[in-house]
Amino acid sequence: MADTTPTLPRRIAHFDLDSFFVAVERARDPSLLGKPVLVGGYGRRGVVATASYEARQFGCHSAQPMAVALRLCPQAIVVPANFEAYQETSKRFHVILADASPVVESGGIDEAYVDLTGIGPVEDGARAAAVEVRRRTREELHCPVSVCIAGSRTTAKTGSDQAKPDGLIEVPVGGDAAFLAPLDIGLLPLVGPKLADGLRRVGVRTVGQAAKLDPKWLEQQFGRAGQMLAERARGIDPTPVRAGGRPNRSISREVTFGTDVTDPAELRQVLRRHAERVGADLRRANRRARTVTLKLRWDDFTTLTRSHTLDRPAQSTPALLEAGVALLDGIFREHGVRPVRLIGLGATNLVEDQLQLALEDAAGGGPLRDERLDGVLDAIRSKFGDASVRRGTGTRAKPR
Amino acid sequence: MRLSCQQEDLHRGLSAVARAIPARTTLPITQHILLEAQDGAITLSATDAETIAITYRIEAEIEEPGSITMPSRLLSDFIATLPHDKISMSLAERSRQVNLSCARNTASIGGMDPDDFPPIPPVGDAGTVRMDADRLRRAITQTVFSAATDDSRPVLTGVHFAISDKQMRLAAADGFRLSVHTMDLDEETEERAIIVPARALGELGRLLGEATEGAVSMTFNQANTQVQFDLGHAKLMAQLIQGTFPNYEQLIPNQTTTQTVVLVKDFIRETRIASIFARDGSGIVRLIATPGEGGEPGRLTIIARAEEVGDNEGELDAVVEGDEAKIAFNGRYLTDVLQVVDVDRVAVETTSPSSPGVIRPIGDERFVHVVMPMFVQW
Repeated sequence: MADTTPTLPRRIAHFDLDSFFVAVERARDPSLLGKPVLVGGYGRRGVVATASYEARQFGCHSAQPMAVALRLCPQAIVVPANFEAYQETSKRFHVILADASPVVESGGIDEAYVDLTGIGPVEDGARAAAVEVRRRTREELHCPVSVCIAGSRTTAKTGSDQAKPDGLIEVPVGGDAAFLAPLDIGLLPLVGPKLADGLRRVGVRTVGQAAKLDPKWLEQQFGRAGQMLAERARGIDPTPVRAGGRPNRSISREVTFGTDVTDPAELRQVLRRHAERVGADLRRANRRARTVTLKLRWDDFTTLTRSHTLDRPAQSTPALLEAGVALLDGIFREHGVRPVRLIGLGATNLVEDQLQLALEDAAGGGPLRDERLDGVLDAIRSKFGDASVRRGTGTRAKPR
Repeated sequence: MRLSCQQEDLHRGLSAVARAIPARTTLPITQHILLEAQDGAITLSATDAETIAITYRIEAEIEEPGSITMPSRLLSDFIATLPHDKISMSLAERSRQVNLSCARNTASIGGMDPDDFPPIPPVGDAGTVRMDADRLRRAITQTVFSAATDDSRPVLTGVHFAISDKQMRLAAADGFRLSVHTMDLDEETEERAIIVPARALGELGRLLGEATEGAVSMTFNQANTQVQFDLGHAKLMAQLIQGTFPNYEQLIPNQTTTQTVVLVKDFIRETRIASIFARDGSGIVRLIATPGEGGEPGRLTIIARAEEVGDNEGELDAVVEGDEAKIAFNGRYLTDVLQVVDVDRVAVETTSPSSPGVIRPIGDERFVHVVMPMFVQW
């Protein structure tokens, strides 16, 4: 049967809040307006989470060691990150988006795709909706937001970067390929540094040049990524915007120590705290992890990651901890005990919160028992704070 | 060796024994079938030289007795394609070439020395149990599908046979479900417990499927390491699995809070429909049992949801005793068990969304199935 629904031109918008953490801090403290601001950890080993545009002019950027950023821009004001405030503002931002269209896919704390197809009049309905989102975000949240409206996610995402700071770009219907053509190949979301290097080596610098290449050749050279690039470079990307947002791909916690830690017992304690937090996040998100990943950085900055795929997807603190400790012991067996600078625990390969129960669970033990206890602990912690209650470990900390 | 036989007989025999042939092997001769011609019959044999051997006897006119091995795949495919007619076969002893002719087709197939064929040791006579072939076939069908297919716990890849008095109880479990079938024996038998590889039993079930009448005898060796099933025209030898089978009796709940009785054919249809919708997820089928009220009949609702695809809901009349209940299962586990139930109605017994479900055929005490639910967000 033929589809007789008239097809409206796709209008996909990608909204991206400009230096979001800084904007929230400025809303809380207007004296920061117009000044170079660095949000992030203060300590000796702190890292920049967001730099204001004023600080970026000095070469500061996110993920930079705070010490380096302060050398580049000594007059910068450092503000410690306040994630609860960012979460709160992000939630309100998503409410504004939801007023614009029922199809909103969150891309994280500070960005989202919104399908504006068929919103308002065909000629300018999408633009009017985007203008309204920008107005409300500015007035109600005091945050500038950049947006690009285009015919596909790829173009919208690439374009919102071009619109920064505080801009709006509308790519006309059918104009995706022409809009992308002059842009540097590395700006496409699909193209990572490795693929970009590979392309530059064969003389491809812009998206337009990639679009002219034989798709078969691209596939042969770069595999699946090449095949996708051939389409995306021509502005073809039928991936739909999914309401509710893509589920998290991973949840992790890591900590960089002020002083390197060598004592395995102390590292296990840190893993326990990581497992509690990662577990709580999983349970809140109704997810289970198929894989547990341990990240370890030695004092000489070499970094190891080791993963273990679980027999059954887990979300309980003991299951995450058990896998994490086994990975840690494995690394120590392999490399010997050395001073550790950073340790992290991650849950990856996340799946929905469903579990085929086993016959051996029927006796009342099994993962559900651990999970029920976790649920109780989560409830206590959310009321009385993180340190209020903890599982007994059966061992006492070694006296120093 | 010189003989003639009917194409249908040879084809049937080859298909039966070929199932013992391993998919991969380091011993090339195990890809061959042994033919031994004497006393008015050809005996065909195949083995993986490790866990299973099958022999099958067909009628033939033997002009000159003898034996040879021939590659199974080539021989089976060739014979299967020939017309229903008489096949003549003769062996050139020195070159080990077998000439075959049927209707107006002739072929020559190179064989190997029958002395190199792995010996199929006779299973001693440390005990024999005789039983009805059809009863055994049903017992196998109702249990073998629950055996584990991965090797992480080898004992679970087999079916446990417990023989005592005039009963034989078969049980299989893969960690998520358990099938138990108790069959009556006609004669008093010595107590014994063995674990037979599920793969061998599957083949035995197929051999038994050919003939619904007759008796089977099951013979054990002294060391309790092998078993032989003798069907008369066919024999199957299997190496037993060593180890301790879990104590499964305690896994069968003796009390449940909700019993839901439904027609098997309706339940299986609705489960299949739901499974189509559940395919994109984890195959999760949700059941809600609602007791009847004020003269209204009770019902069983079968629901599947697939994110971004759609959902499906089916309803059956049911006799629900006890509390309203909801529980989710892997749809395949449900269809697997419903397919082997050979009565009209089953009872689904449940207690909570995370307690085992029990499936019992109504009016057939011999079979019970325990299946663990899926934990889901309701």
